[in-house]
Amino acid sequence: MKELFPKEHVLGFVGSLLLTLAALTVIMFKGMSNGLAMTILLITAAAQALVQLILFMHIGETDDKKSLYVTIIYAVVVGLITVFGTLLAMVWGY
Amino acid sequence: MSKENTSAPLEYRTHENEMKIFGFWVFLGAEIVLFATLFSVYFALADRTGTGPTGKEIFEMPPVLIETFVLLTSSFLIGLGVHAMRIGRKKAMMVFYIITLLLGLVFLGVEINEFLTYIHDGATITTSAFMSALMTLLGTHGAHVTFGFLWGSAILIQIKRHGLNAKTANKAFIFSLYWHFLDVVWIFIFSFVYLKGVL
Amino acid sequence: MSFDELFAPMKEPMILAAGISIIVGAIAVVAGLTYFKKWGWLYKNWLTTVDHKKIGVMYVFVALIMLFRGGIDALLMRAQTAIPENGLLNSEHYNEIFTTHGLIMILFMAMPFIIGLMNIVVPLQIGARDVAFPRLNALSFWLFAAGAGLLNVSFVIGGSPNAGWTAYFPLAGTEFNPGVGNNYYAWALQISGIGTLMTGINFITTIFKMRAPGMKLMKMPMFTWSALITNVIITFAFPVLTVALALMTLDRQFGTKFFAMQDGGMDMMWANLFWVWGHPEVYIVILPAFGIYSEIIATFARKNLYGYKSMVMSMVIISLLSFMVWAHHFYTMGHGVMVNGVFSTTTMLIAVPTGVKIFNWLLTMRHGKIQFTTPMLYALAFIPIFTIGGVTGVMLAMASADYQYHNTMFLVAHFHYVLIPGVVFGVLAGYHYWWPKIFGFRLNEKLGKSAFWFIILGFNIAFFPLFILGLDGYARRMYTYSADTGYGPLNMVSFLGALMMGVGFILLCYNIYYSFRHSPRETTGDPWDARSLEWATHSPVPEYNFAVVPKINQLDEYWFAKKEGRDITAGEYERIHMPNNSSAPMWMAGVMFLFAFFFVFSVWAGVIVFGLATLGFLAYRSFEKDDGHYIEVAEIVETERRLGGEQ
Repeated sequence: MKELFPKEHVLGFVGSLLLTLAALTVIMFKGMSNGLAMTILLITAAAQALVQLILFMHIGETDDKKSLYVTIIYAVVVGLITVFGTLLAMVWGY
Repeated sequence: MSKENTSAPLEYRTHENEMKIFGFWVFLGAEIVLFATLFSVYFALADRTGTGPTGKEIFEMPPVLIETFVLLTSSFLIGLGVHAMRIGRKKAMMVFYIITLLLGLVFLGVEINEFLTYIHDGATITTSAFMSALMTLLGTHGAHVTFGFLWGSAILIQIKRHGLNAKTANKAFIFSLYWHFLDVVWIFIFSFVYLKGVL
Repeated sequence: MSFDELFAPMKEPMILAAGISIIVGAIAVVAGLTYFKKWGWLYKNWLTTVDHKKIGVMYVFVALIMLFRGGIDALLMRAQTAIPENGLLNSEHYNEIFTTHGLIMILFMAMPFIIGLMNIVVPLQIGARDVAFPRLNALSFWLFAAGAGLLNVSFVIGGSPNAGWTAYFPLAGTEFNPGVGNNYYAWALQISGIGTLMTGINFITTIFKMRAPGMKLMKMPMFTWSALITNVIITFAFPVLTVALALMTLDRQFGTKFFAMQDGGMDMMWANLFWVWGHPEVYIVILPAFGIYSEIIATFARKNLYGYKSMVMSMVIISLLSFMVWAHHFYTMGHGVMVNGVFSTTTMLIAVPTGVKIFNWLLTMRHGKIQFTTPMLYALAFIPIFTIGGVTGVMLAMASADYQYHNTMFLVAHFHYVLIPGVVFGVLAGYHYWWPKIFGFRLNEKLGKSAFWFIILGFNIAFFPLFILGLDGYARRMYTYSADTGYGPLNMVSFLGALMMGVGFILLCYNIYYSFRHSPRETTGDPWDARSLEWATHSPVPEYNFAVVPKINQLDEYWFAKKEGRDITAGEYERIHMPNNSSAPMWMAGVMFLFAFFFVFSVWAGVIVFGLATLGFLAYRSFEKDDGHYIEVAEIVETERRLGGEQ
C-alpha cells in the first residue's frame, strides 16, 4: 500500500491544502488592505501552480524540459501581457 | 523512429509517444492563453454590473470551498494514478483514475447547482456584462471538466480492454496533464474570481 | 428565417450571377471528374492523404482560388470608386465586399498559402519523414477548407458579413446587424482558426522533435526558423481569437452583454480582443515570408546568409513585441496619454529588429553574383516597397499624428504596402522557388517575369495614389464620393493599377498550364543550385522524403557537401514506417461545417446532431487502431532508381 503513496505527491497535496488555507486568510481577517490581499492571492496561486507543474505534472522529467519551460513561460508571459494590457487599455488608461 | 527506449516509463517508450506528450504541453500553453483571455475579459467587466447583482452579493463561499477541495483531491489522486501506472499496478491505477473522474462529477454537480442558484436569484448570463463574463469563464472551465470526464472514461475503457501498454499509458499520462491543468485554472478562479470578489 | 429571406441575397443580379457561376463551376468539376473517372484517384491520392507535401499543395491550391475570389472583390471595389457617384455597387453590397475581401485575403489566402509552403518545405528542410502528427495535419487542412467554404456560402445563402473584417461592435452586434452575416463571420473564422491552432502545435512539435541527427537549432535553415517562430505566435495568439469569436457568438445569438451598449457592456472590448490576436497575426503572415526571402536571397546571391544569429534574434524579439503593440489600432478610442505613449513606444521599437533584417538581406547580396530569376525578382522588389510600408507604419505609430491618418486611405495604402510585398510577393517567390521540388519541372521564367512586372507596376500604380488620397482626407470604406472632392482622378489611376495586377495574376496562372505542357522535366532535384536540405532529395519528392536521413554537421550542410563532392544521402536503406491515409479528417471537418452552418441559423436540432457527431469522431479516433505501415527496402530501391536514374 505504501508504495502507492510517494512522498512528493503527499507533500504536494498537503502543501496545496495549506496554500488554499493561506489564501483564505484574505477573507478571514477583515480590514486587510487590498494591496496586501492581492499580493497574498498572487503568491499562493502561483505557488499552487508550481506545485502542480513540478510535483504532479513532472514538467522537468525529460530531456525536453528546457523547451517545455520556455513554452510554458512564454504562454504565461503572453497571458500576463493580455490580462494587464487589457486592463491598461480598457480600464486604467482612461 | 519507432525504436523503443526501454529505460523510460511506458508512456515515453516510443518517439511517437514522446512527441504526443510534447505536443500536449504546447497545447496546454495555448490553453493558458485561452483562459488568460477569459480572465482579462472578466477583470475588465467585473465591476460593470449594470442593474444586476455584484459578485459580493451572489458569491457563496461554502460551495466554492467544496469545489476547491474536490478538485485539489482529484488532482492529487490522478497523480497517484500515474505513479501506480509507472510501477505497473494497473488495478490501483484504475481505481485512482475512477475516483478522480467521480470527483470531477461531484465538482460539476456543485457548479451546476451554483448556476441554478444564480438563475433562481434572477442573475442570468444576459443580466449584465459582469454576469456574462462570470458565467462564460466558469462555464468554459466546467465544459473542460465535462469533456475531461468523457475523455478519461474512454481511456479507462481502453485500459480495461487492452491493459497497460505504450499506447494506453501514453493516453492516460496525457490525460493526467490535462486534469492537473484544470486544477491550476480552478485555483486562479478560486483566488481571483471568488476570493477577490468577496473581499 | 423564411426560405425567401434565406436566398434574399440572390435578388441582386451580380450575386445571382456569382451564385450561378459557383453552381456551374461545381457541376463542371463533378462532371469532369466523373467523365475522366478520376474520383477514385482524387479520393485515394488527395482527399484522404496525410502526406505533408500533398496537404501543402492542397493548401496552396485553395489559397490561389481564394486569391481570385478576394481579387475580384478588390477589382469591384476599385471599379466602384474609379469615378465619383458610381452606381456599379450599392452601399450594402460594397460593405459586404470590403469585408469579405479583407477576411479572405488575410485568413483564407495569406494564411493557407504560408501554411501550405510550411507544410511542403519544413519537414524536407529538417530531414523529417512527415510532420509530428500527420492525421492532425490533415484535419487542420480540412477545417480550414470548411471555414473557407462557410464564408463563401454566406455570399449566396443568408448574406455576407458586412461590418468590415474587423467587425467592430456595436456595428457587428444584432442591433445594427440583425442578419446572419456576422454569425457566418464568427463561425467561419472559429472553425478555420481551430485548424490553424492545431497546425501551430503540430509544427512546433515537428521542429523541436523531428530534426535530422546533428541539426542543432542554430543549424536550421532560416525558413524553418521563421516557421518555428510563426507557429509559436500562432499557438499563443489564436486562443485569443477563439475566445473573442465565442464571445461574439454569445452576444449575437444568446444575448450576453460583453460588447453591448447597456448593462455594463464594453463595445470596445471586442476591438481590444480582436487586435490582441490581430497584431500578432500580421507577424504570423509576414515572418514566414521573411524566411522565404532569406532562403531565396542567399541562394541567388550565391552567398551564405549574412547575420544568421541576428536574423534569429530579431525574429524572437519580433515575436514577443508583436504581443505588446495591439492598442495602436485604436489610438483614437480616447485613451489617456500614458496608454497611447506605451503602445506608441512598443510600436516604434518593433521597427528596429525588422530594420536589422532588411540590412542583413542587403549585406547578403553585397559582392554576391546575383542571378535575376523570378523568385529573386520578387525578393528584390520586396525590399524597397516593404520599406515604404514600414516607414509609413512608423508615421502611423505616432499616436498624436495618427488622429490625422486614422481610418483614411493612408492607412489602407500603408497596410497594403506592408502586406503585399511582405506576404504576397513572399509566397509568390516561394511558390516559384519550390514549384520544381514538388512537380519536377520549373515554371517558365519568361512568363513568370512578365507576370512579376505586371504585378509590381500594377501594385504601385494601384496603391501609391491612396497615400495621397488619404492625406487629403479620403476615408476608407466609403462606397462613393462626390466629384467636388477631387478624389476622382487618382481613384481612376488606382483602378487601372488594380486591373494591371489582375492581368499579372492571370499570367501567373496561365504559366502553370504553359509550363506543364512545355517545361523540360527536372532530373537533378536541385535546379537552382541551392543550399538547404530539401534540395538533397529527388524532385518530385518520394513519399518518404529521404531514403536515408542525412547527418548534419553545419548550417547549409548540403551546400558544403556539394562543394566537397560528398553525398549526404548515401547509406544503407532500412524499411521506413509511414502513417496510413484516412478519410476521417475530411468527414469530421464536413460534420463540423454542418454544425457551424446550423449554428449560424440557430437551428438547434442540427447543432445538437452534428455536435454529437463531432464528439463521435473524436471517440472513433481514440478507439481506432492504426499503426501505420512499412515501406520495404525493395520498394525503396525501386523508387530511388525510378526517380534518380542510377543511384
